[in-house]
Amino acid sequence: MNRSASMNGILLVAAREIRQILKMKSFWLTLLILPVAFALGPIFTETLNDDEPTRVAVVDRSGGGAAEALEARFAMEDTQWLLRDLSRYVQRYDLESADPEAPWAQFDRWYTGADIAAFEAAGGLDAALAKIDAVRPEGVPEFEADAPDYAFAPAPAALASAQGDAFGDEARALFDADDDTAPEIVVLIGETYPEDPRIQLFSADQPRGSFVSTMQEVLTVDLRARLLAAQGVSPAEAAAVQSAAPVIAVDTPPPGGGARETLLVRSIVPLALAYILMMSLMLSGSWMLQGSVEERSNKLLESLLACIRPEDLMYGKLLGSLTVGLLMILVWGACAGVAAYATQGAIADLIRPALEPVSSPGIIAAILFFFIAGYILISALFVAIGAMVDSMSEAQGYLMPVLLLILLPITFLIQAILAGNSGWMVQVLTWVPLWTPFTVMARLGMGIEWWEMVGSGILLAVTIVLELVLIGRLFRASLLSTGQKPSLKKIVERFRGTPA
Amino acid sequence: MSVLEVSNLVKRFDGVLAVDDLSFSVAPGEIFGFLGGNGAGKTTTLRMVLDIIRPTSGNIQVFGSAPGRRNTQAIGFLPEERGLYAGMSAIDTIIYFGRLKGMDTGTARRRGMDLLARFDLADRAKSDIGDMSKGMAQKVQLATSLVNDPELLMLDEPFSGLDPVNQGLLENEILRASERGAAVIFSTHVMQHAERLCDRLLLLKKGSKRFEGTLEEARAALPARLIASAKEDLSRIPGVARAASGDGIEDGWHDWTLYLEPGVPAADVLEHCTANGIALRRWDEHKPSLHDVFVRMVGEDPAGAGKANQEIAA
Repeated sequence: MNRSASMNGILLVAAREIRQILKMKSFWLTLLILPVAFALGPIFTETLNDDEPTRVAVVDRSGGGAAEALEARFAMEDTQWLLRDLSRYVQRYDLESADPEAPWAQFDRWYTGADIAAFEAAGGLDAALAKIDAVRPEGVPEFEADAPDYAFAPAPAALASAQGDAFGDEARALFDADDDTAPEIVVLIGETYPEDPRIQLFSADQPRGSFVSTMQEVLTVDLRARLLAAQGVSPAEAAAVQSAAPVIAVDTPPPGGGARETLLVRSIVPLALAYILMMSLMLSGSWMLQGSVEERSNKLLESLLACIRPEDLMYGKLLGSLTVGLLMILVWGACAGVAAYATQGAIADLIRPALEPVSSPGIIAAILFFFIAGYILISALFVAIGAMVDSMSEAQGYLMPVLLLILLPITFLIQAILAGNSGWMVQVLTWVPLWTPFTVMARLGMGIEWWEMVGSGILLAVTIVLELVLIGRLFRASLLSTGQKPSLKKIVERFRGTPA
Repeated sequence: MSVLEVSNLVKRFDGVLAVDDLSFSVAPGEIFGFLGGNGAGKTTTLRMVLDIIRPTSGNIQVFGSAPGRRNTQAIGFLPEERGLYAGMSAIDTIIYFGRLKGMDTGTARRRGMDLLARFDLADRAKSDIGDMSKGMAQKVQLATSLVNDPELLMLDEPFSGLDPVNQGLLENEILRASERGAAVIFSTHVMQHAERLCDRLLLLKKGSKRFEGTLEEARAALPARLIASAKEDLSRIPGVARAASGDGIEDGWHDWTLYLEPGVPAADVLEHCTANGIALRRWDEHKPSLHDVFVRMVGEDPAGAGKANQEIAA
């Protein structure tokens, strides 16, 4: 048979496979589920994130400065977060020139009380934004400050005057009132404080641990200061004792967030690639399997085989499946691109470091190779199953072990890579052709030796050639033998190409 | 030159002899019947001609060369077990098969629409196969085998499962193909179709040939039976194998049932009678039907043969 007629047949079969899959509702559903899920994700987190500050009322009957101390401490923490956000914003858009000396123009540091004081002294957020606006180029979005976590307000009069058990009842009544201005947390400092060091905390919901521990810290400092004063220690000495603390120096590799975080970011795209390869393979593979089963159960194989060589039919199916898979990934990629564009670079900023390990031409070529090779390798297994079964339920019997064989090690692999582990198991998975495509792609983020990549790639290619020859024989021998399930001996005979 | 030439063809499956030293040839314009039960090796032989399976030994020449997909564009094939893609429309199915046979889309579409019109399905061209009745789908499948105007048309049990109207339609298509010079091979175990259509036929039993020749030759292979009324004893006439006299009718006339020796034409016996002055009042010639020939040569009823052989094969 001449080459062009053979190619013509392969392309026709592939085109038909693609058309058949594009007609399926399940194809469009799965194609859309991923982008929709990603689009809905941020919306959900937005909704779940309570942007409103938690309203806190402190009733201080002891007459001391505990309430003010609390309020000041939470305000300081909010400012600290604000400074962090602002410095990230400045770093992202290269706006340091607004005021190189300002704390928010210095990155990778934990802002201290002194920084906060300097920031406040320089006019706080408004003054900083005014400086930034002066140098902010067109197209860079304005800085949006997050709402503070806690808002302090005086207690309603009814609550402030309530005594004894009535206080608690009053607080709970306020929580139940569903009033948008009523406090959600009420802190009661009794008249006899600090002789009676009990503090009562009423909360509408389970209070956040950070709130309670910060409150405890502030009140402890206050309490100890009072106790020290009662012992005759001067306030200056007391403050010195209280602020004595070891200096903890933290040393992490640059940039900033530490090695583990960097590794995670760098592995996001490679892991996603391995995962998407797996996903689209499972999908297009099972669609192709459905097609093969239809051809067998509808008895139309014989008509097909009168027109086309079994090998060409197999190649056509593989090509069709590969095309559908790449099409899905193209659509998903396009959705990601649109999302990155639509969010004005917020996602792009996240993606930039993530894309770094996969952006050289050599690596892109390697990704393409391993992706396509992986597709052919696994799809051919589906073809082999399709050639042997008469019904979809029979196909499941073969499918389950194959899927487990592929999926289980990959689940371990992804965990191992997330844990920054490149131990013997990852090595083994790299060199077993069935898992090579997934492992190599997933390892791109951690860095993989070029010889490992080339070596495992060659091994993979050789395996695929062998696989196609064997499965081609199996395909030819199995196509027309319907009825009994082939025994293992039969299958081996078919692999050997014993003439049917 | 023959369109198809098969010589000494042998096919073995796991030690089971499916086709045993089979030789035959089919000429252009000829309608060739392939008769035998389901396990007789008809389908196996056709698959070898199509290069779907390979012979154990022997030789096949299709259009003067070995079987292979290079012949696809000149072959039409309708398998015994029929089916199409349920989600594809009738015309798309025909175009798909036309293109697999090397046609361009335009020609395949035009020929496909012509065929659908002829099969009274023009208005269903865009219907999905899955929405059609079984009879309609079978006609679409017939169209897929005819779309390329094949020079060799092979139909495996084409009449099975067709209603009488569609059987008539199929007979017309077979005659039409033969008239334009195509060689038509069809297998069947329904003798009436073979009797009506075949120029030549081949009887298969367990993979080996029992008979090959024209319908007349097939009939002649069985002894003819005739009933004659005469006063003389007809049992001693040359060529008569056996004779039984019936009851006397009147005035010494008797009805004789005569069984002739194989290959002896009834005309020879009649000639002998007239030449020898044997007066005859009745001369009824009963030619053996193809059914009789089949039963005699294959040794079983053709309709039941399929099942019996299938069980053996299984």
